[in-house]
Amino acid sequence: MKKIIRNVAFGLVGLSVSAASVAGPEEDRQAFRKFYENRFPQVQPIGDFQNGVYSILPAAREQWESIEEFPPYELAIEEGEKIFNKTFANGKSLKDCFGEDGAVREQYPHWNKERGMVMTMELAINECLEANGEKPLKYKKGAMAAVSAYMAYNSRGQVINVEIPSDDPRALAAYEDGKEHFYTKRGQLNFACADCHMHTSGMNYRSETVSPAFGHPTNWPVYRAKWQEMGTLHRRFAGCHDNIRANPFKAQGEEYRNLEYFISYMSNGLEFNGPAARK
Amino acid sequence: MKHGLKSLALVALIGSSTAFAGGHGKSAAALIEEATAGYKQVSKETTYQWTTTVKVIKAAQKALDGGNEAEAKKLAQQALDLVEATRQQAQVESQNWKMRVPK
Repeated sequence: MKKIIRNVAFGLVGLSVSAASVAGPEEDRQAFRKFYENRFPQVQPIGDFQNGVYSILPAAREQWESIEEFPPYELAIEEGEKIFNKTFANGKSLKDCFGEDGAVREQYPHWNKERGMVMTMELAINECLEANGEKPLKYKKGAMAAVSAYMAYNSRGQVINVEIPSDDPRALAAYEDGKEHFYTKRGQLNFACADCHMHTSGMNYRSETVSPAFGHPTNWPVYRAKWQEMGTLHRRFAGCHDNIRANPFKAQGEEYRNLEYFISYMSNGLEFNGPAARK
Repeated sequence: MKHGLKSLALVALIGSSTAFAGGHGKSAAALIEEATAGYKQVSKETTYQWTTTVKVIKAAQKALDGGNEAEAKKLAQQALDLVEATRQQAQVESQNWKMRVPK
Protein backbone atom coordinates (compact mmCIF):
# COMPACT_ATOMS: atom_id res chain seq x y z
CA MET A 1 0.00 0.00 0.00
CA LYS A 2 2.81 2.33 1.02
CA LYS A 3 4.51 1.56 -2.25
CA ILE A 4 1.38 2.49 -4.22
CA ILE A 5 1.04 5.79 -2.32
CA ARG A 6 4.70 6.55 -2.94
CA ASN A 7 4.35 5.81 -6.66
CA VAL A 8 1.24 7.97 -6.92
CA ALA A 9 3.05 10.78 -5.08
CA PHE A 10 6.02 10.53 -7.41
CA GLY A 11 3.63 10.56 -10.36
CA LEU A 12 1.96 13.72 -9.09
CA VAL A 13 5.31 15.44 -8.56
CA GLY A 14 6.26 14.41 -12.08
CA LEU A 15 3.02 15.78 -13.47
CA SER A 16 3.36 19.08 -11.64
CA VAL A 17 6.95 19.43 -12.87
CA SER A 18 5.80 18.75 -16.43
CA ALA A 19 2.96 21.24 -16.05
CA ALA A 20 5.37 23.88 -14.80
CA SER A 21 7.71 23.36 -17.69
CA VAL A 22 5.02 23.40 -20.38
CA ALA A 23 3.05 26.41 -19.10
CA GLY A 24 3.05 29.24 -21.63
CA PRO A 25 4.55 32.68 -20.99
CA GLU A 26 1.21 34.27 -20.15
CA GLU A 27 0.35 31.55 -17.61
CA ASP A 28 3.85 32.01 -16.17
CA ARG A 29 3.35 35.75 -15.90
CA GLN A 30 -0.02 35.47 -14.19
CA ALA A 31 1.35 32.97 -11.66
CA PHE A 32 4.45 35.15 -11.10
CA ARG A 33 2.40 38.26 -10.46
CA LYS A 34 -0.03 36.38 -8.21
CA PHE A 35 2.88 35.09 -6.17
CA TYR A 36 3.97 38.64 -5.31
CA GLU A 37 0.42 39.88 -4.79
CA ASN A 38 -0.07 37.14 -2.20
CA ARG A 39 3.33 37.63 -0.60
CA PHE A 40 3.07 41.41 -0.31
CA PRO A 41 -0.65 42.28 -0.13
CA GLN A 42 0.31 45.64 1.41
CA VAL A 43 1.80 46.84 -1.89
CA GLN A 44 -1.01 48.90 -3.37
CA PRO A 45 -1.48 49.67 -6.18
CA ILE A 46 0.31 46.75 -7.81
CA GLY A 47 2.28 49.19 -9.97
CA ASP A 48 4.22 50.26 -6.89
CA PHE A 49 6.41 47.17 -7.32
CA GLN A 50 8.33 49.34 -9.81
CA ASN A 51 10.04 50.85 -6.75
CA GLY A 52 11.81 47.61 -5.91
CA VAL A 53 12.59 46.92 -2.28
CA TYR A 54 11.16 50.32 -1.31
CA SER A 55 7.70 49.10 -2.26
CA ILE A 56 7.83 46.70 0.70
CA LEU A 57 9.86 48.71 3.25
CA PRO A 58 8.03 51.86 4.39
CA ALA A 59 10.87 53.13 6.64
CA ALA A 60 13.58 52.71 4.00
CA ARG A 61 11.25 54.26 1.46
CA GLU A 62 11.20 57.55 3.34
CA GLN A 63 15.00 57.74 3.23
CA TRP A 64 15.03 56.75 -0.42
CA GLU A 65 12.48 59.42 -1.30
CA SER A 66 14.70 62.01 0.40
CA ILE A 67 17.64 60.80 -1.70
CA GLU A 68 15.51 61.08 -4.82
CA GLU A 69 15.00 64.81 -4.13
CA PHE A 70 18.67 65.37 -5.02
CA PRO A 71 19.35 62.16 -6.93
CA PRO A 72 22.91 60.92 -7.23
CA TYR A 73 22.27 59.88 -10.86
CA GLU A 74 21.64 63.46 -11.98
CA LEU A 75 25.21 63.96 -13.20
CA ALA A 76 24.98 60.73 -15.19
CA ILE A 77 21.87 62.02 -16.98
CA GLU A 78 23.72 65.22 -17.91
CA GLU A 79 26.74 63.25 -19.12
CA GLY A 80 24.45 60.90 -21.04
CA GLU A 81 22.74 63.82 -22.74
CA LYS A 82 26.11 65.09 -23.99
CA ILE A 83 27.04 61.67 -25.34
CA PHE A 84 23.61 61.30 -26.92
CA ASN A 85 23.86 64.63 -28.73
CA LYS A 86 27.52 64.35 -29.68
CA THR A 87 28.08 64.42 -33.42
CA PHE A 88 29.94 61.39 -34.81
CA ALA A 89 32.82 61.71 -37.24
CA ASN A 90 30.36 60.98 -40.06
CA GLY A 91 28.10 63.86 -39.01
CA LYS A 92 25.40 61.67 -37.49
CA SER A 93 24.63 61.03 -33.82
CA LEU A 94 22.69 58.65 -31.56
CA LYS A 95 19.63 60.76 -32.44
CA ASP A 96 19.71 59.20 -35.89
CA CYS A 97 19.13 55.80 -34.32
CA PHE A 98 16.87 56.64 -31.37
CA GLY A 99 15.04 59.86 -32.24
CA GLU A 100 15.41 63.37 -30.89
CA ASP A 101 15.36 62.53 -27.16
CA GLY A 102 16.05 58.78 -27.11
CA ALA A 103 12.79 57.99 -25.30
CA VAL A 104 12.67 54.44 -26.57
CA ARG A 105 12.96 52.40 -23.36
CA GLU A 106 9.62 50.69 -23.98
CA GLN A 107 10.96 49.17 -27.20
CA TYR A 108 13.47 47.02 -25.28
CA PRO A 109 14.05 44.22 -24.78
CA HIS A 110 12.43 42.82 -27.91
CA TRP A 111 12.76 39.81 -30.15
CA ASN A 112 14.56 40.52 -33.41
CA LYS A 113 13.19 38.00 -35.87
CA GLU A 114 15.69 38.73 -38.64
CA ARG A 115 18.64 38.08 -36.38
CA GLY A 116 16.97 35.47 -34.20
CA MET A 117 17.99 37.10 -30.93
CA VAL A 118 16.87 39.31 -28.07
CA MET A 119 17.79 42.96 -28.54
CA THR A 120 18.41 45.14 -25.50
CA MET A 121 18.76 48.91 -25.37
CA GLU A 122 22.43 48.83 -24.43
CA LEU A 123 23.21 46.46 -27.28
CA ALA A 124 21.31 48.72 -29.69
CA ILE A 125 23.29 51.76 -28.47
CA ASN A 126 26.58 50.04 -29.22
CA GLU A 127 25.37 48.77 -32.58
CA CYS A 128 24.38 52.32 -33.50
CA LEU A 129 27.83 53.57 -32.53
CA GLU A 130 29.62 50.85 -34.47
CA ALA A 131 27.39 51.24 -37.53
CA ASN A 132 28.50 54.87 -37.61
CA GLY A 133 32.18 54.13 -37.26
CA GLU A 134 32.38 54.94 -33.54
CA LYS A 135 33.95 52.86 -30.78
CA PRO A 136 31.52 50.73 -28.75
CA LEU A 137 31.11 51.45 -25.02
CA LYS A 138 31.75 49.06 -22.15
CA TYR A 139 28.47 47.54 -21.09
CA LYS A 140 28.48 47.64 -17.31
CA LYS A 141 29.16 51.24 -16.28
CA GLY A 142 30.62 54.58 -17.29
CA ALA A 143 29.50 56.17 -20.55
CA MET A 144 27.08 53.33 -21.37
CA ALA A 145 25.33 53.68 -18.01
CA ALA A 146 25.21 57.46 -18.54
CA VAL A 147 23.64 57.40 -21.99
CA SER A 148 21.27 54.65 -20.87
CA ALA A 149 20.32 56.83 -17.86
CA TYR A 150 19.54 59.77 -20.15
CA MET A 151 17.38 57.62 -22.42
CA ALA A 152 15.65 55.93 -19.46
CA TYR A 153 14.96 59.31 -17.87
CA ASN A 154 13.30 60.56 -21.04
CA SER A 155 11.29 57.33 -21.18
CA ARG A 156 9.88 57.54 -17.66
CA GLY A 157 6.23 56.55 -17.57
CA GLN A 158 6.46 54.21 -20.53
CA VAL A 159 5.10 50.75 -19.78
CA ILE A 160 6.90 47.43 -20.11
CA ASN A 161 5.22 45.51 -22.88
CA VAL A 162 7.51 42.70 -23.93
CA GLU A 163 6.11 40.41 -26.59
CA ILE A 164 7.02 36.84 -27.41
CA PRO A 165 5.94 36.49 -31.03
CA SER A 166 4.06 33.25 -31.57
CA ASP A 167 5.22 32.96 -35.17
CA ASP A 168 8.86 32.39 -34.20
CA PRO A 169 9.61 29.41 -31.93
CA ARG A 170 13.11 30.80 -31.35
CA ALA A 171 11.57 33.68 -29.36
CA LEU A 172 9.82 31.24 -27.05
CA ALA A 173 13.08 29.28 -26.76
CA ALA A 174 14.91 32.46 -25.70
CA TYR A 175 12.18 33.16 -23.13
CA GLU A 176 12.37 29.59 -21.82
CA ASP A 177 16.15 29.89 -21.61
CA GLY A 178 15.81 33.03 -19.47
CA LYS A 179 13.15 31.33 -17.36
CA GLU A 180 15.37 28.31 -16.74
CA HIS A 181 18.20 30.62 -15.75
CA PHE A 182 16.00 32.46 -13.25
CA TYR A 183 14.92 29.28 -11.47
CA THR A 184 18.22 27.39 -11.65
CA LYS A 185 20.56 27.15 -8.68
CA ARG A 186 24.14 28.09 -9.45
CA GLY A 187 27.45 28.74 -7.76
CA GLN A 188 28.98 27.21 -4.67
CA LEU A 189 26.24 28.77 -2.53
CA ASN A 190 23.66 26.90 -4.63
CA PHE A 191 21.28 29.83 -5.12
CA ALA A 192 18.84 30.56 -7.93
CA CYS A 193 17.66 34.11 -8.74
CA ALA A 194 14.27 32.82 -7.54
CA ASP A 195 15.66 31.67 -4.19
CA CYS A 196 16.51 35.23 -3.17
CA HIS A 197 14.15 37.41 -5.15
CA MET A 198 11.09 35.21 -5.02
CA HIS A 199 11.03 32.61 -2.26
CA THR A 200 12.88 34.72 0.34
CA SER A 201 11.98 38.17 -1.00
CA GLY A 202 11.19 40.54 1.84
CA MET A 203 13.45 38.59 4.22
CA ASN A 204 16.84 39.74 5.43
CA TYR A 205 20.27 38.51 4.37
CA ARG A 206 22.40 40.02 7.08
CA SER A 207 21.23 43.64 7.23
CA GLU A 208 19.75 43.81 3.72
CA THR A 209 16.16 43.06 2.76
CA VAL A 210 15.88 41.10 -0.47
CA SER A 211 13.88 42.82 -3.18
CA PRO A 212 11.02 41.19 -5.09
CA ALA A 213 11.83 40.22 -8.68
CA PHE A 214 8.50 41.59 -9.83
CA GLY A 215 9.52 45.11 -10.90
CA HIS A 216 13.24 44.38 -11.12
CA PRO A 217 13.77 45.59 -14.72
CA THR A 218 11.92 48.92 -14.37
CA ASN A 219 14.53 51.23 -12.90
CA TRP A 220 17.84 50.70 -14.71
CA PRO A 221 20.50 51.94 -14.84
CA VAL A 222 20.96 52.72 -11.14
CA TYR A 223 23.32 54.66 -8.96
CA ARG A 224 24.26 52.16 -6.26
CA ALA A 225 25.74 53.39 -2.98
CA LYS A 226 27.80 50.19 -2.86
CA TRP A 227 29.33 50.98 -6.26
CA GLN A 228 29.52 54.75 -5.68
CA GLU A 229 28.64 55.07 -9.37
CA MET A 230 26.16 54.08 -12.03
CA GLY A 231 25.74 50.55 -13.31
CA THR A 232 23.58 48.67 -15.79
CA LEU A 233 21.24 45.75 -15.24
CA HIS A 234 23.81 43.30 -16.61
CA ARG A 235 26.37 44.63 -14.16
CA ARG A 236 23.94 43.72 -11.40
CA PHE A 237 23.34 40.26 -12.87
CA ALA A 238 27.09 39.70 -12.83
CA GLY A 239 27.34 41.00 -9.26
CA CYS A 240 24.64 38.58 -8.11
CA HIS A 241 26.44 35.67 -9.72
CA ASP A 242 29.67 36.70 -8.10
CA ASN A 243 27.90 36.87 -4.72
CA ILE A 244 26.79 33.25 -5.00
CA ARG A 245 30.28 32.25 -6.19
CA ALA A 246 29.21 31.44 -9.73
CA ASN A 247 31.25 32.69 -12.67
CA PRO A 248 29.35 35.66 -14.14
CA PHE A 249 28.34 35.56 -17.79
CA LYS A 250 29.35 38.15 -20.35
CA ALA A 251 27.37 41.40 -20.20
CA GLN A 252 25.05 41.54 -23.22
CA GLY A 253 25.86 37.92 -24.03
CA GLU A 254 22.99 35.59 -24.92
CA GLU A 255 22.56 34.25 -21.35
CA TYR A 256 21.93 37.66 -19.76
CA ARG A 257 19.90 39.02 -22.69
CA ASN A 258 17.55 36.03 -22.42
CA LEU A 259 17.34 36.52 -18.65
CA GLU A 260 16.44 40.18 -19.21
CA TYR A 261 13.82 39.08 -21.74
CA PHE A 262 12.23 36.73 -19.19
CA ILE A 263 12.23 39.06 -16.18
CA SER A 264 10.97 41.96 -18.30
CA TYR A 265 8.11 39.83 -19.61
CA MET A 266 7.26 38.91 -16.01
CA SER A 267 7.01 42.62 -15.20
CA ASN A 268 4.83 43.51 -18.19
CA GLY A 269 2.41 46.29 -17.28
CA LEU A 270 4.74 48.07 -14.85
CA GLU A 271 6.16 51.50 -15.69
CA PHE A 272 9.76 52.23 -16.48
CA ASN A 273 11.04 54.68 -13.85
CA GLY A 274 14.79 54.62 -14.31
CA PRO A 275 17.35 55.76 -13.57
CA ALA A 276 17.14 55.20 -9.83
CA ALA A 277 19.14 55.25 -6.62
CA ARG A 278 19.73 52.03 -4.73
CA LYS A 279 21.77 50.87 -1.76
CA MET B 1 15.04 -4.80 4.59
CA LYS B 2 15.52 -1.41 6.22
CA HIS B 3 18.92 -2.54 7.52
CA GLY B 4 19.81 -3.75 4.05
CA LEU B 5 19.06 -0.34 2.55
CA LYS B 6 21.01 1.43 5.28
CA SER B 7 24.01 -0.79 4.66
CA LEU B 8 23.76 -0.20 0.94
CA ALA B 9 23.64 3.57 1.45
CA LEU B 10 26.64 3.37 3.79
CA VAL B 11 28.63 1.35 1.28
CA ALA B 12 27.72 3.83 -1.47
CA LEU B 13 28.78 6.73 0.75
CA ILE B 14 32.09 5.13 1.62
CA GLY B 15 32.57 4.22 -2.03
CA SER B 16 31.99 7.81 -3.17
CA SER B 17 34.28 9.16 -0.45
CA THR B 18 36.94 6.74 -1.57
CA ALA B 19 36.41 7.85 -5.14
CA PHE B 20 36.87 11.50 -4.18
CA ALA B 21 39.91 10.70 -2.09
CA GLY B 22 41.37 8.64 -4.89
CA GLY B 23 44.21 11.08 -5.39
CA HIS B 24 46.18 10.00 -2.33
CA GLY B 25 48.86 8.22 -4.33
CA LYS B 26 49.30 11.05 -6.83
CA SER B 27 51.65 13.97 -6.71
CA ALA B 28 50.36 17.49 -6.08
CA ALA B 29 51.28 18.46 -9.64
CA ALA B 30 49.22 15.59 -11.04
CA LEU B 31 46.25 16.47 -8.86
CA ILE B 32 46.42 20.14 -9.89
CA GLU B 33 46.52 19.08 -13.53
CA GLU B 34 43.54 16.79 -12.96
CA ALA B 35 41.54 19.55 -11.23
CA THR B 36 42.35 22.05 -13.99
CA ALA B 37 41.33 19.58 -16.70
CA GLY B 38 38.13 18.74 -14.78
CA TYR B 39 37.25 22.41 -14.40
CA LYS B 40 37.76 23.01 -18.12
CA GLN B 41 35.70 19.96 -18.99
CA VAL B 42 32.74 21.08 -16.83
CA SER B 43 33.04 24.58 -18.33
CA LYS B 44 32.90 23.09 -21.80
CA GLU B 45 29.95 20.82 -21.12
CA THR B 46 27.81 23.12 -18.96
CA THR B 47 27.27 26.79 -18.08
CA TYR B 48 28.07 26.08 -14.44
CA GLN B 49 31.39 27.32 -13.16
CA TRP B 50 32.25 28.32 -9.61
CA THR B 51 34.57 31.20 -8.87
CA THR B 52 35.97 29.31 -5.89
CA THR B 53 37.34 26.43 -7.96
CA VAL B 54 39.82 28.58 -9.87
CA LYS B 55 40.89 30.30 -6.65
CA VAL B 56 41.61 26.96 -4.97
CA ILE B 57 43.51 25.66 -8.02
CA LYS B 58 45.63 28.82 -7.99
CA ALA B 59 46.25 28.45 -4.24
CA ALA B 60 47.32 24.83 -4.78
CA GLN B 61 49.74 25.90 -7.52
CA LYS B 62 51.12 28.64 -5.27
CA ALA B 63 51.66 26.15 -2.44
CA LEU B 64 53.43 23.77 -4.83
CA ASP B 65 55.62 26.56 -6.19
CA GLY B 66 56.49 27.43 -2.59
CA GLY B 67 57.60 23.86 -1.97
CA ASN B 68 54.67 22.90 0.26
CA GLU B 69 53.68 19.59 -1.34
CA ALA B 70 51.28 18.54 1.44
CA GLU B 71 49.34 21.79 1.37
CA ALA B 72 49.29 21.73 -2.45
CA LYS B 73 47.86 18.20 -2.41
CA LYS B 74 45.21 19.16 0.11
CA LEU B 75 44.12 22.15 -1.95
CA ALA B 76 44.21 20.26 -5.24
CA GLN B 77 41.99 17.58 -3.72
CA GLN B 78 39.64 20.31 -2.55
CA ALA B 79 39.55 21.70 -6.10
CA LEU B 80 38.72 18.25 -7.44
CA ASP B 81 35.82 18.01 -4.99
CA LEU B 82 34.57 21.43 -6.12
CA VAL B 83 34.72 20.33 -9.76
CA GLU B 84 32.72 17.21 -8.91
CA ALA B 85 30.15 19.23 -6.94
CA THR B 86 29.77 21.64 -9.87
CA ARG B 87 29.22 18.72 -12.22
CA GLN B 88 26.56 17.30 -9.92
CA GLN B 89 24.84 20.68 -9.55
CA ALA B 90 24.60 20.95 -13.33
CA GLN B 91 23.14 17.46 -13.55
CA VAL B 92 20.60 17.91 -10.77
CA GLU B 93 19.53 21.41 -11.80
CA SER B 94 18.89 20.43 -15.40
CA GLN B 95 15.54 19.08 -14.10
CA ASN B 96 15.05 20.47 -10.60
CA TRP B 97 14.63 24.12 -11.66
CA LYS B 98 11.18 23.26 -12.97
CA MET B 99 9.93 22.57 -9.45
CA ARG B 100 10.52 26.22 -8.47
CA VAL B 101 8.25 27.71 -11.12
CA PRO B 102 5.06 28.95 -9.44
CA LYS B 103 1.82 27.55 -10.77
